Amino acid sequence: MRAPPGGASRAELRRLADEELVQLVAASDADAFEIVFERHADAAFALAYRMCGRRSVAEDVAQEAFLALWRGARRYDRTRGSVRTWALGIVHNRAVDALRRSSVHERRRAHEEGAEEALEAPERTDVQAIGNTASAELRGALEQLPLEQRRVIELAYFGGFTHVEIATMLDTPVGTVKGRMRLGLQKLRGQLHSWEAIGG
Amino acid sequence: MSSFEIDQDCGERANAAAYALGALEDADAYREHLLSCAGCRAEVAELQLAVDALPSTVTPASAPESLRRRVLDAVRSEADLLHAAGRKADRAPRARRTPGGWRLLIAGSASLAAGAAALIVLAVSSGSSNAVRVTTAQIAASERGAHGALRVASGRAELVLGGMRQAPRGQIYEVWLSRGKASAPAATDALFGVTKAGTASVVVPGPLHGVREVLVTREPLGGSLHPTSAPIVRVVL
Repeated sequence: MRAPPGGASRAELRRLADEELVQLVAASDADAFEIVFERHADAAFALAYRMCGRRSVAEDVAQEAFLALWRGARRYDRTRGSVRTWALGIVHNRAVDALRRSSVHERRRAHEEGAEEALEAPERTDVQAIGNTASAELRGALEQLPLEQRRVIELAYFGGFTHVEIATMLDTPVGTVKGRMRLGLQKLRGQLHSWEAIGG
Repeated sequence: MSSFEIDQDCGERANAAAYALGALEDADAYREHLLSCAGCRAEVAELQLAVDALPSTVTPASAPESLRRRVLDAVRSEADLLHAAGRKADRAPRARRTPGGWRLLIAGSASLAAGAAALIVLAVSSGSSNAVRVTTAQIAASERGAHGALRVASGRAELVLGGMRQAPRGQIYEVWLSRGKASAPAATDALFGVTKAGTASVVVPGPLHGVREVLVTREPLGGSLHPTSAPIVRVVL
């Protein structure tokens, strides 16, 4: 195995925080990138799969996102969030781009079928094994939102629909859609606040 | 009362949630508004924290091994290329005859930045039996900031580009294969655009046996059977 340019061993690299690794990635350190990839590949693929609903498309989206991260590591700004948030933001943007290349009808069908239903049985077993408490709590918080608020948030974030498209498909005024998005996000934010307050 | 409920005066505040979710159709206008509205900026920042948590609500899944292989192979190749280019960037380009059909076209164009683009051919896996070859691309002087390379492994060639401009409206990038001066470059069905980040990766179709150069031009949508503009990317094999 080659030593990275800075001379750090793989074991030393593994001890670095994501933000430090990204600085090395910006200097074209492939070993540092590999560790960043290992830390976030599952979450990136899961998000892409949830949004796109097809394994092959999700893989393409995740690949495109990680290569963008590799080529654009200099643009990472730690004041705007963690490396994980940044990486998943790239995945989200790429998935939205992929979704918006499809018709609204196709996207709605894919969204409603849901990625979880598309998982085959062996994968579902893996999925259950690597679940964790924090994400389960967040899922619970999302599921506890009033249905109309959760629906517009999921259609927007996971479905890649614009607020106008959502208003059309739900036959609901645009202002109402924006209001539901706001109320839902405020409740989720409030839930996060309460967990932070108790150290959760 | 939470902080984002303070200052309800701004009529644009209702757009904050849709903007944070990436769902606001007129996002550019709202982005402009954010520059001058501290209340909306604060609201977006608060709501963004909730949006950033949404990926954690996704049912976990394991990234497939094929994804890992594809990503890390590409990154390793580019890293090796970049490190090699860093050492050899001042090397003079190799003199090479221009294929006949292209001579005038190139001479009359903005010309490839032959003086600036070092031609580097290296075996990435030198010392091993794994025959992966990466060749840097020469870029036309008009495409300032662009860079690229052709990666050939196991008979499969992939052209990776960065720093590219979006093709003008009504145009698309097209890959051509040149087999020497006796024949005009052959059109391929490899038509592509570039991402917002200016990157593109495209598989070069067909066997490369006998191919002397891989070229890219901008063509009308749908591609052309014969090049209608000068090459902006040239990879000499």
